Amino acid sequence: MLISAAHVAVLLITACLVLLACSTLFLSTYAWWSPDHRSTTGYPDILPANEHSFSLIMPCRTEREEVMRATLARLLQQTHSRVEVIISVGDDDPDTVAIAHALAKEHPDSVRVSVDSNAVKNKPRQLNTALKLCRNDIVGIFDAESIAAPTLLAHIDSVFQHRNADVVQGAVQLVNFSDSWYSLRNCLEYFIWFRSRLHAHAKSGFIPLGGNTVFVKRDLLVSVGGWDGDCLAEDCDLGVRLSVLKRRIVVAYSPDLVTREETPDSLASLIRQRTRWSLGFMQVYAKGDWRRMPTGIQRVNAWWTLTQQHFMALAGVLIPISIMLALFAKFPLPITMATFLPLIPTFALFTLEICMLHEFGKDHSFRIRARDYLRLVLGAPAYQVLLAISAIRALGKFYTGDFRWDKTAHNGAHLNLAEVRLADAR
Amino acid sequence: MSSVLTREPDALPRWSVGRLARLVRPDTAAVIAIVLVASTVFFTNLTGPAFQDDEGTYTAQALSLDDGDLAPYTYWYDHPPVGWIQLAMLIWIPRLFGLGDGIDIAAMRYVIALYFVANAVLIYLIARRITVTMTFALLGVAAFVFSPLSLSLGRQIFLDTIALPWLLLAFYLVLSPRMALWSHAAAGASFAIAVLSKLTAAVMGPALLVALIDRRAWQGRMFSVMGFLTVGALVLAFYPLMALLRGELVSGDGHVSLQDGLLYQFTAREGSGYVWEAGSARSELLLSWAVGDGFLVVGGAIAAALCLVSRRTRWVTVAVGSFFMPVMVGEGYLPSMYIVAGIPFLCIALAAASDLIRRAVLRLGRDRLPNQALATPIVLVGVTLLMLVQTPVLGWVARDRELLSSDQNSDFRDTLEWMRANVPRDDVVLTPYSMWHDLDSRGWDDSWTMIALEKADLDPAYKVQHPTGWEGIEWIIEGPTVRSNLEVLGLTTASTALQNSEIVRTFGAWNIRRVQTDASVGP
Repeated sequence: MLISAAHVAVLLITACLVLLACSTLFLSTYAWWSPDHRSTTGYPDILPANEHSFSLIMPCRTEREEVMRATLARLLQQTHSRVEVIISVGDDDPDTVAIAHALAKEHPDSVRVSVDSNAVKNKPRQLNTALKLCRNDIVGIFDAESIAAPTLLAHIDSVFQHRNADVVQGAVQLVNFSDSWYSLRNCLEYFIWFRSRLHAHAKSGFIPLGGNTVFVKRDLLVSVGGWDGDCLAEDCDLGVRLSVLKRRIVVAYSPDLVTREETPDSLASLIRQRTRWSLGFMQVYAKGDWRRMPTGIQRVNAWWTLTQQHFMALAGVLIPISIMLALFAKFPLPITMATFLPLIPTFALFTLEICMLHEFGKDHSFRIRARDYLRLVLGAPAYQVLLAISAIRALGKFYTGDFRWDKTAHNGAHLNLAEVRLADAR
Repeated sequence: MSSVLTREPDALPRWSVGRLARLVRPDTAAVIAIVLVASTVFFTNLTGPAFQDDEGTYTAQALSLDDGDLAPYTYWYDHPPVGWIQLAMLIWIPRLFGLGDGIDIAAMRYVIALYFVANAVLIYLIARRITVTMTFALLGVAAFVFSPLSLSLGRQIFLDTIALPWLLLAFYLVLSPRMALWSHAAAGASFAIAVLSKLTAAVMGPALLVALIDRRAWQGRMFSVMGFLTVGALVLAFYPLMALLRGELVSGDGHVSLQDGLLYQFTAREGSGYVWEAGSARSELLLSWAVGDGFLVVGGAIAAALCLVSRRTRWVTVAVGSFFMPVMVGEGYLPSMYIVAGIPFLCIALAAASDLIRRAVLRLGRDRLPNQALATPIVLVGVTLLMLVQTPVLGWVARDRELLSSDQNSDFRDTLEWMRANVPRDDVVLTPYSMWHDLDSRGWDDSWTMIALEKADLDPAYKVQHPTGWEGIEWIIEGPTVRSNLEVLGLTTASTALQNSEIVRTFGAWNIRRVQTDASVGP
């Protein structure tokens, strides 16, 4: 009897793993599902008239001047005519405040400074303070270390007009793929996220937003009370709350219009970043706003979206474990063979990732060499382990109530810029 | 009450023909008609054609899955097991309706009905996907349903028939007009299931790739090819995986192996000679197919050549070409039911070529034809005339009438009944595989008391069970194929037993023989 219970348990776990792997395969390849999908995930044609005006918030903390200057320059060089920039800083960071004021003085018409005086310092609170200064129709966020495309705002304006959007999420792309084995995987992950997964989420009506290159109508943002000042993943949380309100969230992707960023500078900081994201998702899940989605199906979808990533991270480790278990416990042949089933969608995704890397290279005019493809394939298992470690770490922090902000350091490879640190959550 | 009476007095009744006709799309109606006609033809005299040994083998192997085994004897990787696993999963359907008159091999033929009907529907859908008009798509289906070849070989329990719907489904999915990645990946899986049902389905691989790639380029082509190949390969990999888990992947002493099974099928098996050698098994087989349905085999091959002219139908040429390649240039073993997997493609070729001719007639006669709608009837009349000239000669109608009425199994049934009634259940019996399961399941329930003919020589376990060799056998059932099997397979134990036996009872071509050993004849 004990034996048969073990069989059922293994089969159930296998069924979950198959479901997970198929779901990941579906979301990751959504944009390539058919040529129709490709066309609907792109930007519409640019319209001649700029109908909206933009207030761009640039959150900064212990930033170096050249980083801020470069980011600001790209925002001010936009082809769109009605743009103001709010540099958002904290009052406990006098150096950055001084730089911000100096920069604002150079562009008195278009740049202002918002100094956050909250006792608790973090990104969402800084953003909320800056939001009060915004005067234009649409509020956009640009992290200090990111490089925007010059025609981005003109395109975003067109999307708001064409699709009658309330929120538009633009794409962010990591570009230093050749730095290390994990940076290649990390870049591809971003590519898949913004090229494909987000579109599938948008289609389903429940979407966790990103924190960079995201645009929201100001009235709407004010009416929902801005960002949650206590949430680690304030961007994801905003997406969830707007999804619940059934607001029209549009995701648009074009390789020419991505905002460029870089991968974390070390394996440790990549794990820290991942842990923070996972923890943020868990926090949003625990907040429970997603339970207010109107229909049962949508609630299931929301639950799946918020939890699936952690499951998937664990799946990479669980699949070999369940196979080993079946092999060493000498389970009957059909059950042992069933434990191999999750490998079909998993390996199918690995090979399709080769095509994605090829397209990534073509989109951004990077030369992808044979060794890059090799690194992609060979790095897959190790990256799965890395994601699993982050997920488990996040789970541990979640249950011990440790919500401090692990900092992500960047080595400035995209601009030869120095460290970027975001606010501590405590 | 009044509200019911006064409701919409002029509206059509809820289920009137007119209302239905408007609800059902023409293609849906065609598919429903195909299902009805194909099932009617399939079920007519289904148990008439003679039960073959192979049918008995697959029936027995399917039903042995109930006991958790892949075969009643040692499974030796002669075929991947997916074909009879499907049979085992579907046998409840005829059993539910009590079909087959208590004979399992007959009941199993009803399972094949599902495959036959699915094939007919898929031929229609594939023809429609390559933009063949409805009339000619239906013509292709008719050629499939009424061909004497499908009515004989196509209705028997062969792995080729089980592989076919998966193969056709793969083509249908590959030809997805939306060029959707998921359907191309699913096509890979479907193709793999076809190959795992019958390995020879693999000859259609190149045609599938041509159907997938040879189209207007689209952005996701690389993804589609990769998805098709990877998913196909991953599903296929479960066969060697099974062998590996059973410790039977590579050849070794004291156990069967996938390596040995494949080597046997592709090299060790006695060849059928070259097709141009007069009197070789291969040339006779080809001739028998041509006699069986010359219109389809010859006409289909010509039609397939015609399909080369349009990019839309070019894969049909490759499919029919690669199907006949092993027949024309090979000399390895060629089984008689090999043609089964070719029939649907010949039918599609006929439909597609007729449609190409219709288009050509349309183009040529654009100014001369008084009405464009005449093109279809003209070509249809041409094809019908061709068939009318051919059919009396080749006896299509006569063959069909025979296949749909004659009962070739009355002797089989009589033999079975006699055995069940007269032979003690602990007597050791050697029987052709066609009858094995239906005897064994009636009281013997032991594969070494009720023994399939070739197992006495080919399964090493026989010597363990019956150390006295041929003298361990008490009865032999000599069906119509027994003597040729003894010769072809070189079965010495069974031959010796047969030589030392006397006929006890005869039903037509079936002899029931009692083996005379020294012990049984002695004082």
